[in-house]
Amino acid sequence: MMDVKQLLSSNSGLDGWRVTETATASYELFFVHKKLETVRATDTVDTSATVYVRHDGKLGDSTFAVYPSMTEQDVAAKIGAAAARARLVFNEPYELPEAETLSVSLPTNMENRDMKALGREIADAVFAADTVEGGSINACEIFLYHETVKVFNSRGVRKTQSIYRVMIEAIPTFTTDKESVELYEDHRFTTFDAEKVTAEIAARMREVRDRSLAVKPATPMKVNVVLRPQEISHLVRDLARDLNYASVYSHANLHKVGDDLQSGGSGDKLTVTMKGIVEGSERSASFDADGAALHDTCIIENGVVKSYYGSTRFGQYLGVKQPSGELPCARLEPGTLKAEDIKKAPCIECVSLSGLQLDLYNDYIGGEIRLAYYYDGEKTVPITGISMSGKLSDVLSTLRLSETTTVQGAYEGPDKLLMREISVL
Amino acid sequence: MPFSTYLDSKRADCAALVSELGRHFSYVSVLGTDVRATVIRADRRSSAVQDGRGECGFVVKMHDGRSFFEYSLDDISGDKAALAQRILEAVKVDPALAGRMISTAALSDEPMTRDFARENDFSQYNDAALLDVCRELCGELTAKDEHVMNAIVMLQPFEVSKLFVTKNRQLSQYYGWANGYLMVVYNDGRMVHARHVEGEDHLAVIIENLRAHTDSVIGLAKHLTKATPITPGVYDVITDSSITGLIAHEAFGHGVEMDQFVKDRALAKQFVGRYVASPIANMHDGAAAAHSVASYFFDDDGVLAHDTQIIRNGILEAGLSDLGSAAQLGTVPTGNGRRDSYKRKAYSRMTNTFFEPGQDKLEDMIASVKHGYMLFETNNGMEDPKNWQIQCTAEYGIEIVDGKLTDHYVSPVVMSGSVPELLKSISMVSDNFKVIGSGMCGKGYKEWVRVSDGGPNLKVRVKLG
Repeated sequence: MMDVKQLLSSNSGLDGWRVTETATASYELFFVHKKLETVRATDTVDTSATVYVRHDGKLGDSTFAVYPSMTEQDVAAKIGAAAARARLVFNEPYELPEAETLSVSLPTNMENRDMKALGREIADAVFAADTVEGGSINACEIFLYHETVKVFNSRGVRKTQSIYRVMIEAIPTFTTDKESVELYEDHRFTTFDAEKVTAEIAARMREVRDRSLAVKPATPMKVNVVLRPQEISHLVRDLARDLNYASVYSHANLHKVGDDLQSGGSGDKLTVTMKGIVEGSERSASFDADGAALHDTCIIENGVVKSYYGSTRFGQYLGVKQPSGELPCARLEPGTLKAEDIKKAPCIECVSLSGLQLDLYNDYIGGEIRLAYYYDGEKTVPITGISMSGKLSDVLSTLRLSETTTVQGAYEGPDKLLMREISVL
Repeated sequence: MPFSTYLDSKRADCAALVSELGRHFSYVSVLGTDVRATVIRADRRSSAVQDGRGECGFVVKMHDGRSFFEYSLDDISGDKAALAQRILEAVKVDPALAGRMISTAALSDEPMTRDFARENDFSQYNDAALLDVCRELCGELTAKDEHVMNAIVMLQPFEVSKLFVTKNRQLSQYYGWANGYLMVVYNDGRMVHARHVEGEDHLAVIIENLRAHTDSVIGLAKHLTKATPITPGVYDVITDSSITGLIAHEAFGHGVEMDQFVKDRALAKQFVGRYVASPIANMHDGAAAAHSVASYFFDDDGVLAHDTQIIRNGILEAGLSDLGSAAQLGTVPTGNGRRDSYKRKAYSRMTNTFFEPGQDKLEDMIASVKHGYMLFETNNGMEDPKNWQIQCTAEYGIEIVDGKLTDHYVSPVVMSGSVPELLKSISMVSDNFKVIGSGMCGKGYKEWVRVSDGGPNLKVRVKLG
């Protein structure tokens, strides 16, 4: 078996190297209605190598893919070509992460389970929610992954992380004499809980039934709008991306340390911590793509930008003594919003958006609402066919965050965010 | 012909695996992929020359006379009997699910042996020359205006080799494509990003076009610093080719992907043969329908490229299918079976999607608008094939007052509303035409493939916010 690391180590023209391997075994089930259409399995390894060459007081690097089909001669030639590419690149020097060995498995109850049996159990949990009269799950895709990520470098980094994760894409549908409606939903987890999967999808089944009853409300109006975790995580992700070392180094960041994102605000204050591990998140990681250790970092505290975060390279460029590493997850601290507070005034609680539209540079937040619940001060009705828009700075200054929290993708934090006086058309 | 020498060396292995698995399945195909991508990039403070998102591996597709099975792997060398056993074991299904498999008609395997190739000029450029171009353009952009905080210039050529083998069919294809990007970070009291994108299969054309747009991208940035939010409302709108393409793609392209018909996830299934758009609207999709990023010769199911007319004179005529959905619907596949990579399933996917040009002059279209906006540059969009809602975001718009474009820019601009209302509102179609080949398209939130879209300018009436 070819040893890429050995080939890199024996090349005297390099000043450093890094190898990343991701081995993936998957088992996948594709349902059309309740019938199984396709069974898939994969067994693949992605390997990439990066070479580093010091020249002219600068550092060049270049990354190339290593395919299992390549011979030793192929890889040796790729190393030589990458070294030549690296000599074309004149970046500021930086140090690779130092020697450290780590081998971790993220917590799961799916390790050593037979994937076929587990796939059937997950399918059973999904379709157990298909009990609403007039409702159906028109399509369902179940992906079971076992991934092992390894990072090695020329300074002695030897790190391995193993993760089991599942992604379910289920399409709850509700059909009446007049029309048929659906909601798109995906569910991701690292620990399988059949009852929780059934409960989550059953909740979506109830919501899609409500979409069939939804009406377009009288518009335009200015009203409080409540966002759910998917949209809140989008907001946090965009705020965080702006504060990445790489954005700062390239002068692309809008906000700087000390900036108050909620100046003069009357709402809950934002406190955001970038994290390596969030329990239950498939995005959790113990190290980044460089193999660097991850240090949880608070980037926004009480609405004020406190620090930046990001990779070892760009952290060093900015003079950060201990770069955080490229932290994959974000935690937003909960606020003071109670369920009963939401209905103190008329509001729209979003269930499904086409996608939240956020533009930090143009100070914009908006989107098309496919399903929401409208509380007019007396009663609550499902609504559809509307869009919302507002000034992001106004939203940040006045938002309220729920006391209750959840985990969604790479996000951990409040499960509701209330925006005040949003224009709805 | 620069078809992958690696895949070329695997023809016999593919045929042997097809033969071995053919003892267990009525239909077996092997798709081998070798996609080599390069990223050359320069900005004010750093640069890069490295491999981009490529792939090299195989996917085996099997049909047992009823249902589908697939297995993705990196290499098919070695003992084929042992490999076949590994594949059979991997795609087994739990006994409790075995009785729930679908049943479709057997798949046809029409004999064909063809090798396809399309020329490009990538071999005429080395890494150093392309990086020099990026650095030169970056320097030019930053020197043009003191308010340019950073300029990013990128070239991304990629070359695709695919080999498709069944019992009766052996196809190979090679083609290349490249995208070029100019982007500036501009701060004149307010920070904005402005960009220009090119796509072509000849780097010489891309480089020439990027050079020709350095002034316009700075000019756009200046305007964007003064852009205001749009007052939400329903307006007469003139689209540029990019926004026309976005409408084609999001409003109706996703809605006629026929794997959604199978799942009863597309309202369009009930509208074939009925008016869904203005009688002056004609819409196509197909790898053979235009020359752009998705102009392959055969799809990932080994079906030759088509030109499918989706809408003819406002009437929905046909959808887009992969092998699996066509088998379930009893239709002929249209060459739209595409995979994110060899590691992913094939779905019905768009390729080059566009409206046909019409008879109107753009200046007449603008002159016909009392108060409205001309919209430019796709940002993103989201489909809703089941319920025909649409959300498309343009990077910016320019206000039209009394039939004339003003200096008033708005950004960003989100179009939303009902698909049939939007398509039936098309009242003018320009006589010019452009397809833009720099897009990526997901299905839901995954399964990314390269697509193009475009067409002429359209005059529509739509909700903007």
